[in-house]
Amino acid sequence: MTITNPPRQKVDRDEVFLEYTKSICPVCKTVIDAEVNVKDNRVFMRKRCKEHGKFEALLYGDAQMYFDSMKFNKPGTIPLETQTEVVDGCPLDCGLCPDHKQHACLGIIEVNTNCNLDCPICFADSGHQPDGFSLTMEQCSTALDAFVRSEGEPEVVMYSGGEPTIHPRILDFIQLAMDKGVKTVNLNTNGIKLAHDRKFVEKLASFDRRPNIYMQFDGFNERTHTEIRGRDLRKAKQAALDHCAEFGLTVTLVAAVEQGLNDHELGDIVRFGVQHPAVRSVAFQPVTHSGRHLEFDPMERLTNAEIVHGLADQVPEWFRVSDFFPVPCCFPTCRSITYLLIDGENVVPIPRLIKIEDYLDYVSNRVMPDLDIRQALEKLWSATATPGTEMTQEQLECAVCGIDLPEALKTVTDTAFMIVIQDFQDPYTLNVKQLMKCCVEEITPDGRLIPFCAYNSVGYREEVREQLSGVSVPTIVPNAADLQPVLLTTRYGSKTLERDGNGHTPANATNVGQALR
Amino acid sequence: MTGSEPSAADVKVCCATAYQQDAVALILGESYHPGGLALTRGLATALDLRAGERVLDVASGPGATAFLLASEFGVEVDGVDLGDQAVEKANALAAERGLAEQVRFHLGDAERIPLPDASVDAVVCECAFCTFPDKPTAAAEMARVLKPGGRVGITDVALDPARLDAELQSLAGWVACMADARPVAEYVALLDAAGLRVTRTEPHDDALAEMITQIDGRLRAFRMAKVAALENVDFDTALDRVASADRAVRDGIAGYSLLVAEKA
Repeated sequence: MTITNPPRQKVDRDEVFLEYTKSICPVCKTVIDAEVNVKDNRVFMRKRCKEHGKFEALLYGDAQMYFDSMKFNKPGTIPLETQTEVVDGCPLDCGLCPDHKQHACLGIIEVNTNCNLDCPICFADSGHQPDGFSLTMEQCSTALDAFVRSEGEPEVVMYSGGEPTIHPRILDFIQLAMDKGVKTVNLNTNGIKLAHDRKFVEKLASFDRRPNIYMQFDGFNERTHTEIRGRDLRKAKQAALDHCAEFGLTVTLVAAVEQGLNDHELGDIVRFGVQHPAVRSVAFQPVTHSGRHLEFDPMERLTNAEIVHGLADQVPEWFRVSDFFPVPCCFPTCRSITYLLIDGENVVPIPRLIKIEDYLDYVSNRVMPDLDIRQALEKLWSATATPGTEMTQEQLECAVCGIDLPEALKTVTDTAFMIVIQDFQDPYTLNVKQLMKCCVEEITPDGRLIPFCAYNSVGYREEVREQLSGVSVPTIVPNAADLQPVLLTTRYGSKTLERDGNGHTPANATNVGQALR
Repeated sequence: MTGSEPSAADVKVCCATAYQQDAVALILGESYHPGGLALTRGLATALDLRAGERVLDVASGPGATAFLLASEFGVEVDGVDLGDQAVEKANALAAERGLAEQVRFHLGDAERIPLPDASVDAVVCECAFCTFPDKPTAAAEMARVLKPGGRVGITDVALDPARLDAELQSLAGWVACMADARPVAEYVALLDAAGLRVTRTEPHDDALAEMITQIDGRLRAFRMAKVAALENVDFDTALDRVASADRAVRDGIAGYSLLVAEKA
């Protein structure tokens, strides 16, 4: 008698294969192939570096939301000028190169590396550092000129750092941007200077077109402050906001959100913002695992989906998941926005009054929408929208009165409140597909416009810092749990690879430039 | 509108009147029924409407459905509505849009449709059948005016009255349409008894939930803007009603359905 083995059964994969794209090795930054898969209603990226092995990371925490967002994808606009040539392909030619799919809605100029804080979390790897850089008037001017040549009339410039308010020429930089025709200046700050120097706030408020204050504001728990900023800054934040209100400056509260740390404070931040007279918008940014940050698990990070669900859970009386819509100018999974009409006791999300998808669905719409309303909504659902500025107020009025709502609603748009959710890519999650349509660019003093997530993840930040400071800067590697054994701490507090001597990195591992035979 | 148990005739007149008022138009916005024009398009596709066919729209209101069917599907439409102002406005709008040859609106009752026997290829009725007090007669009338082999397409609120909140059972403004809605099985039986065999039913509960959300948002926005046309509206009560309607949908007590039936 013979024993027959049962026939071998084929088994299905436990995931749905969705996309094939390019990314980088998070360790050596070599460009490699990547695949995107859906498993348990979540979207993941998987990739393999010949030298450093396999990496997997969460891209989006709600696969249905990821699919639904795809139709909110507006055809890109070609900039007036690009700054580089296509040589090695994305993401090595930044930028912008002629293959880039979108113009720059928002240009960021980092004016210094110096900061009056040494936060444990800082994608710019800034702090009290003796070996950084501080832009000259001439360098700032060169950067602005590149932006103007590319955009014509740029909508928004954001001055960042470091800490831009401690740059001795920051007021001149703001004036310079205005003089060159930039419509809105955002000042990205931790608020310390605004809290302690009331005169400085008064000077900011004396510009014809007042800059919007883009202020770090991560929550109300002491632990939130000490873990993210290294200091309890609650009193300083309050004082800074009150000074802004006193002089009529508008403020965007910007929360870096880390899982298990301050993701329970989303609702409280919005409630606080709605009540404070200076605050006109809140931006939630899952902590970017580029630069300096706490140890994290790439498979369990926060994405836009978790923030949207968190807001709907924490403020059910105001929000539903369906109140948030993707921004169509960049890749739709990068950024989501909603607007609220508020009057003290009442709050109404604008998407409950207008069928946003009737206007911003560029893929499956069958009927041509009213173009004026579409244009107004495009401006509102974009990286340039800044509540409180004349332009954004006009778009709000148009969007609200253009539909079948009475004239009286126009008046309540004066107090409209914006909520933005933006998950920046890191070396684990970088997807060239999204990067190619990025509309938020770092403007460098040598006149390049580099997509923000490429700047932070691919190595451009290190390259530019090295150029400007004249000091060698190591390649920064994410502080991921699975990389701990090979990580060394840099002098800025970020992590780099423990070198085995020769600093060898593998060749570009993507299958380009080769043929089978 | 009365507060206590309404008579059948009260419901019918009240609904037709309510839908003509500016306040109701404001609160409901452009889409008078769940799913809006997208669902109307879905209904037309489910009915397989062909250019040149003649279609009756029962409870045609401001005419949006009739205009869509005429312009996108090339059919001729007769609309019937109980509101005289609605009919007048809809006819004026048809002329304005250059559709007067193709679309006509008549003052009439769903229980006595002013069209001859076997005169139309299809009947549509959106978010209205549930408000008809004498549903067997309304169904029989649809059957009467249909040619043999003709089709009926209905989208409507479906719910289980036994499980409905007491406050929703009373007649109250624009949620009145929920007050006499029935479960899908009962609609199927009603149509069947009139000789209309149901060939398809589709759930569209999300459309109802979305419309309720929209009404809630509009009420809140109007309260905020202190809109003059609504100064007599009791917003707190209205918002409470909306909230209980929303609960009913989320608990699966109320939903929205598309039904297609054929005349034997």
